Amino acid sequence: MKPTALRWIAAASALFSLASLEAARRPRYGGELRIETRGDGSTLIAGAVFESLVKFDAHGDPQPWLATSWTHDAARKRWIFAPRANVMMHNGAPWSPGAVEVPDDKPIDQILRELARNPITVRAEDGSTVGTGPFRVAHTEPGKSVTLAAHDGYWGGRPYLDSIQITTGRSLRDQAVDLEVGKADVVEIAPTQRRGNLYVSQPVELLALQFEDRVPAPTREAVALSIDRSAIYNVLLQKTGEISGALLPKWLTGYAFLFPAERNLARAKQLASGATLSFAYDHQDSLVRAIGERISVNASEAGITLRQAAGNADVKIIETQITSRDAWTSLEDLAAIFKMPLAGANLYESERALLADFKIVPLFHLPDARAMNGHVRNWPRLADVWIAP
Amino acid sequence: MTFRTKLLVVTSLTVAGAVALVTGAVSVWTRRAFERIDGERRSALLDQFHRELDARGQEIVRQVERAAASAAVQQIVGGAAEYDRAQVEAEAESLDFLDVVQPDLTIISSAHWPARFGYKNDWQIVPEDWSATDAFLTRIPTPDGNASALIAVRPAPGGKGLVVGGKRLNPEFLKSLGLAPGMRALLGLPPGEVIDAQGAVVDVRKLSPLIDGQATQAVVGAEAFQSMRLTRHGRPMGVLLAGTSLRERTGLERAILWIGVVVGGSGIVIGVLLGWWTTERITRPVERLAAGARAVAQGDWSTRVEVASKDEIGELAQAFNRMTEQILEQRERALQAERVAAWRELARRLAHELKNPLFPLQITIENLQRARARSEAEFDEVFRESTTTLLAELANLKTIIGRFSDFAKMPAPEFETIDLNDVVRGVMKLYDARLHDGSGTIDPRIDLAAGELRIHADRDQLHRALGNLVLNAMDAMPGGGVLRVATARTESGARLSVADSGQGLTEEECGRLFTPYYTTKRYGTGLGLAIVQSVVSDHHGKISVASQPGSGATFTIDLPEAQN
Repeated sequence: MKPTALRWIAAASALFSLASLEAARRPRYGGELRIETRGDGSTLIAGAVFESLVKFDAHGDPQPWLATSWTHDAARKRWIFAPRANVMMHNGAPWSPGAVEVPDDKPIDQILRELARNPITVRAEDGSTVGTGPFRVAHTEPGKSVTLAAHDGYWGGRPYLDSIQITTGRSLRDQAVDLEVGKADVVEIAPTQRRGNLYVSQPVELLALQFEDRVPAPTREAVALSIDRSAIYNVLLQKTGEISGALLPKWLTGYAFLFPAERNLARAKQLASGATLSFAYDHQDSLVRAIGERISVNASEAGITLRQAAGNADVKIIETQITSRDAWTSLEDLAAIFKMPLAGANLYESERALLADFKIVPLFHLPDARAMNGHVRNWPRLADVWIAP
Repeated sequence: MTFRTKLLVVTSLTVAGAVALVTGAVSVWTRRAFERIDGERRSALLDQFHRELDARGQEIVRQVERAAASAAVQQIVGGAAEYDRAQVEAEAESLDFLDVVQPDLTIISSAHWPARFGYKNDWQIVPEDWSATDAFLTRIPTPDGNASALIAVRPAPGGKGLVVGGKRLNPEFLKSLGLAPGMRALLGLPPGEVIDAQGAVVDVRKLSPLIDGQATQAVVGAEAFQSMRLTRHGRPMGVLLAGTSLRERTGLERAILWIGVVVGGSGIVIGVLLGWWTTERITRPVERLAAGARAVAQGDWSTRVEVASKDEIGELAQAFNRMTEQILEQRERALQAERVAAWRELARRLAHELKNPLFPLQITIENLQRARARSEAEFDEVFRESTTTLLAELANLKTIIGRFSDFAKMPAPEFETIDLNDVVRGVMKLYDARLHDGSGTIDPRIDLAAGELRIHADRDQLHRALGNLVLNAMDAMPGGGVLRVATARTESGARLSVADSGQGLTEEECGRLFTPYYTTKRYGTGLGLAIVQSVVSDHHGKISVASQPGSGATFTIDLPEAQN
């Protein structure tokens, strides 16, 4: 073969390789994404199906979304939100509310938080609730799965995926097995796991102790002071996430370090009265179980017996997501979850008030960790996720 | 208690005693035999227990040595493994407990309690050469509390730590000993935990003397225990307990006792029956003899006892019959002699009584004859006096003969219901004039029972008898005295007593007083008290006299009450 021909062949092969590489990087339409979760997937579904007038960005700043802009009226008594054009509901009806007027009776930050929290929904003819997001609810098997289908008329352009199947109520172990055998594309994993194609967010999951009101305050404080968070962080969490004495993570507020998280065993022993408390946690989650067992060991050192129980225990480990990038919204959500009133002049004081009587004892902020097969791209924003061949 | 009852009691007690003796002896022998066998079984179980523990310990030593040499432990002590990596190695070696600890005993990784990393082991590890030590008993802290374990310790490679592994001493371990029925193996571990094949023994207080070493053998409830102490470097590490159930022994003893009770009861019943039959044969002749004796005592001298046996009882009955026959013969002879004596006495008295008036008659007639020989005038005077004397003496003779005739002609009583007090009052009224004739030497004192004292009697005869007694009393007190007449109710009827304060009677006089024609009076006929006795006898009563010389005499008549 002539050298010239060889050169041509080499050049063609290089071009082909480059083309293939480019094709692999370029988003691809179609396919179904199979997601598994321990919970009911409501946060995931809500984010994909519903939208609001404004939305907080990664920095917690309000950004236009279904409303493109907002200004005062002439009398400066109302805020006028201009709706985005060409927005279509999942049932095919156009979303054209005209100008949205909101009384200017509170700070604009609060108004924007409330608007961000309230999605735009419409009751369809079949009685279902439809939104404007990139995906619509196509099928639901209560307690088992939810299937989302791509919203072809989405104002931001049709999503790459044709559908998303969200299987709910799956244990971490089952999810790991399903990922391994190819039954799932995206699964939840313990944040300490380091294998495979991973997605690890910033710390968005709060791990905390919640006491029942019947437990005396000194006992609650004794348990809180007996916990050696550092040992758990270093050994069990393998330095994943953050030690925290605050409800909101450091990245969200910047003041989390003001809430003490150090162990004070001597003080805990003084406060402890040899109490025995029932202690509940997710026994199926090996990481939570290990943390719970360690907390029991710590508490026993202070003279308090935490006896594992189920149901209405005296104290339990709770895991909850920080879903909003806005600190106030997140604190309000947490207060609602803990069924505690929110009081305080500012964010810090409100959070300190929530933690004052040790009914809630924050432990750690952990990242949202997911394992995916090698074909999933652009996780976690579902509208941008696509599956590579 | 009758002879028959005594005999039955003795027979029953003898049978019961014999059975009790045999039962007790068998029980004692059985208990000792069981105790010896149980003791041997317990000792054998303890030996087996100890051997099994040693074998398990050696196996655990080998498992821990393998674990210490494993790559996993090397990674753990090198800080390159997860905190719960020991679980994998423990599972691989089938160990219930596995701790990898630093030289200062700080836990690096714990298989049975992963959450305890960073804590120091507080169990009994003393620094020593762990490369050649045996397994030992201890208690391992777990999330569920301390657990009894047999553990071994081996150094990790490079001297970076220690590997502590062991197995739980759970009921399964004790079950694996293959205990015979009725036996139980227990393992006691300080400070007070005791387990057996069924689990933890809840109430260990009764076993504490064995666990604390105060005793090596003890009976607790229905079990007998024997202990063997396990020590390490002189420190007590545990106690092996072998127990044997006493239920079998207790059941056997109870069965023996019941058999004894049944046999004893049966023996008593049989003994009673046999005793009854025997005593019936023995006591019936005796009872006949007793009945014969009672009949003789009541005056039936013709009683005979029929006894067919020829034994001692038969001889006794024959002797009894001979005795009554002889007594009857003697009584007949005495009666005849008494009759002869009575006739003699009667003849003597009659002769005496008749001789007294005859002598004046003879003298009077002789005076008449002599007067006839002298002058007529003297004769007339003598005749007149003599005829008077003759008539008087003849009247005297007539009176004497009349008395004898009265006694002979004592009529049968005519019974009626009368008031005895009435009779007394009538008699005392009759003699009232004589008692109060002005001399005042006799003080009559009448003490009658309250109300009417009704009896069944012949009023006239009773009146006559009481009159005789009153007259006798008055005669017995020629110098005066006290006459006491009293009536009283008795259980069987009425009592009448007449007492004087005269000179009294001797014992001999008392014995002969009621004999006809016997008298202590100068001019008495000796028929008065005989008549009284006759009347009392006809009234089915009884008369007696009590007297002491110088103290007067008291006549007492007991009469039956009136028959409705």
